[in-house]
Amino acid sequence: MGLRQYLLKRLVHSVFVMLFVVTVVFFAVRSIPGDPARLMLGGDADPEALEALRAELGLNEPLYVQYFQWLRRLLTGDFGESIRTGEPVLGSLVQVAGPTLSIAMLGMVIALVIAIPTGIVSSVKRYEIEDYLSTTIAFFGISMPAFWIGIVLILVVGVNVDAIPTFGYTPINEGVGPWLRSILLPAIAVGFPYGGILMRMMRSSMLEVLNEDYMRTARAKGLTSNLVLFKHGLQNALIPVVTLAGIFLAVVLGGVVAVEIVFGIRGIGRLLIGSINRRDFPLIQGTVLIVSFVFVLANIVVDLLYTMINPRIKYGGGE
Amino acid sequence: MSEPLLDVRGLTTSFETGQGRLTAVDDVSFSIEEGEVFGVVGESGSGKSVTALSVMRLLDDAGTVEADEVRFDGTDLLSLSESEMRSVRGGEISMIFQDPMTSLNPVMTIGEQIAEVVRHHGDVGERTGFWSEMRRKYVTGTSTESRSWRRAIELLETVGIPEPEQRATEYPHQLSGGMRQRVVIAQALAGDPSLIVADEPTTALDVSIEAQILNEILELSDEFGISVMLITHDLGVVRETCDRVAVMYASEFMETGHVDDLFEDPHHPYTEGLLASIPRIDDDREWLSVIEGTVPDLIDKPPGCPFQDRCEYAFDLCDRPLVEYELDSNRRARHAVRCHRENDRVRVDESGHVTDVPDEAVAALERRIEAGDGSSNDATVAESTVRADGGSPTGGFDETERRGDRDEY
Repeated sequence: MGLRQYLLKRLVHSVFVMLFVVTVVFFAVRSIPGDPARLMLGGDADPEALEALRAELGLNEPLYVQYFQWLRRLLTGDFGESIRTGEPVLGSLVQVAGPTLSIAMLGMVIALVIAIPTGIVSSVKRYEIEDYLSTTIAFFGISMPAFWIGIVLILVVGVNVDAIPTFGYTPINEGVGPWLRSILLPAIAVGFPYGGILMRMMRSSMLEVLNEDYMRTARAKGLTSNLVLFKHGLQNALIPVVTLAGIFLAVVLGGVVAVEIVFGIRGIGRLLIGSINRRDFPLIQGTVLIVSFVFVLANIVVDLLYTMINPRIKYGGGE
Repeated sequence: MSEPLLDVRGLTTSFETGQGRLTAVDDVSFSIEEGEVFGVVGESGSGKSVTALSVMRLLDDAGTVEADEVRFDGTDLLSLSESEMRSVRGGEISMIFQDPMTSLNPVMTIGEQIAEVVRHHGDVGERTGFWSEMRRKYVTGTSTESRSWRRAIELLETVGIPEPEQRATEYPHQLSGGMRQRVVIAQALAGDPSLIVADEPTTALDVSIEAQILNEILELSDEFGISVMLITHDLGVVRETCDRVAVMYASEFMETGHVDDLFEDPHHPYTEGLLASIPRIDDDREWLSVIEGTVPDLIDKPPGCPFQDRCEYAFDLCDRPLVEYELDSNRRARHAVRCHRENDRVRVDESGHVTDVPDEAVAALERRIEAGDGSSNDATVAESTVRADGGSPTGGFDETERRGDRDEY
């Protein structure tokens, strides 16, 4: 199976995955208590006005009718309009995607760059001070929620270092420096838990590889220990880590939502939480759809990477 | 007699475990001559592989290796620096491991796995620094024009792999088990070694290709004048392939000698038991013979013969530390046995059972034990005994001591 065919197959699969996601979300948000019309008009609103608003918003239709109407519009690329503001959902999403993606990407990069080498060192220096130190730090990362790390970072770094802002987001077109500074702390906050998980995985994966027969073969060839480790071991150890790195991206995406609130950044997370509070059904659905799309896409990329580093795996299985 | 290629004296390897000190190799001495096939036979866990890994200094930090001497081609391997040792590994001495499914790297092409040995140990003028190797592995790939790659293809052809150019670009999982072991052999030949240590090279393979692979190893080592240390648990393989053989049991070399001598006239009860347990095609016994009992625990191993509990000839001296007795009558090669039955003063009846242990026997043994700890000095003793006929005796024993020892033989 060629690369193009494989990609096509994966994309078709992901359509179904996302259909499932939006279906669940569609019915889930409507099953939680709360009425968007009442939330808009206030607790003591006139019943007739409420009724009129509900009719206008299409909320009086049977659920399945609403569902299929929404799906039909979705197929034409129309995410609907926010109940609250009447603005197109897609437009609002595009506006806030910048900060969220910036934070998530930088967080991932920070996590990978630190966790992979640390995991390797930790496995090689097993039960030595380097190992204890890094596994302990990683354990903190795994145990602490991202938003809390964010709060601590604000208290410790933000307050003491003037150059690092603790609030708001500067778009990249206003300068790379200010942009980086504005997302540095949130990125660390979302990257820390992710990095902690990756580090532990890298460590255990490398420990396993160190015991493999082919590593002994490599030593018996007279290679230096560094070559044995990085030429013969690294790629093998990365195989499981890459897969899990894709799955655990959920940690980053979930972390961003709360971290944006802490740092007062108007991103997807803030949009999502606001829309849930206001029972802004189309906006919730649209946001979840986009986030799950990013997640599915990232995992397709990861699977492609996986076939690159593991010659035993071919696109779509089989030999 | 010229100096042996590999001369190991008094090799002892132990591991610190949670339960105590595990002696995996206990005072083992042997030598391998140039061009010789030397077999080490023993059951699983008897310490065969650890012996080989100790010589190669490939055990990790958990293992402690001590020896009076591990001399290879005139160099003491134990005194080499780690970087000097690396040029021995894969170059002078190469290894073939048991399972070709796991001993080849699954994410590297076969060609590169052979070519890297050529680069590190051959004279092909290619850079082998860390960054050069890393770039080759992760960025550029191995150039199919390079000398090391072309040499790898030649080697694949040598070990009988069809379409070597094509195969070199493939990964281990694309080959059958037999083909993979051929790749491992090619890899072992790539450094132009003078000794190949083959650690159960056919155990993981299908019986139908076992003979092919063994022949391949032996023919090639013969062709290139390479000595082979063949580790196996298969007595049939030993009989057919080895020149000399050592029988290992519970971390000790029990009997060492020419393969024909050992098979025709075994002296150690364990060897006897092993040979008796080989099924024969003309056998009409209903039950195969077995050696009763189990291998003793090697943790905090007590002195004395480890086989005594299972030995039908066990007698009073078996609790004493073992020493090596050399048999000198009409042997094809030096034949050494670690069993006190061989003590000249111990009287043995025709069935091999000990009938009388005179006091002189005990005294002679005690002198030997006192003279040195174990066979490390026995080796010297044996040598001086040989030289006593023609040459001048050398060695650090005083005259009476040596005479006492010589009397024993």
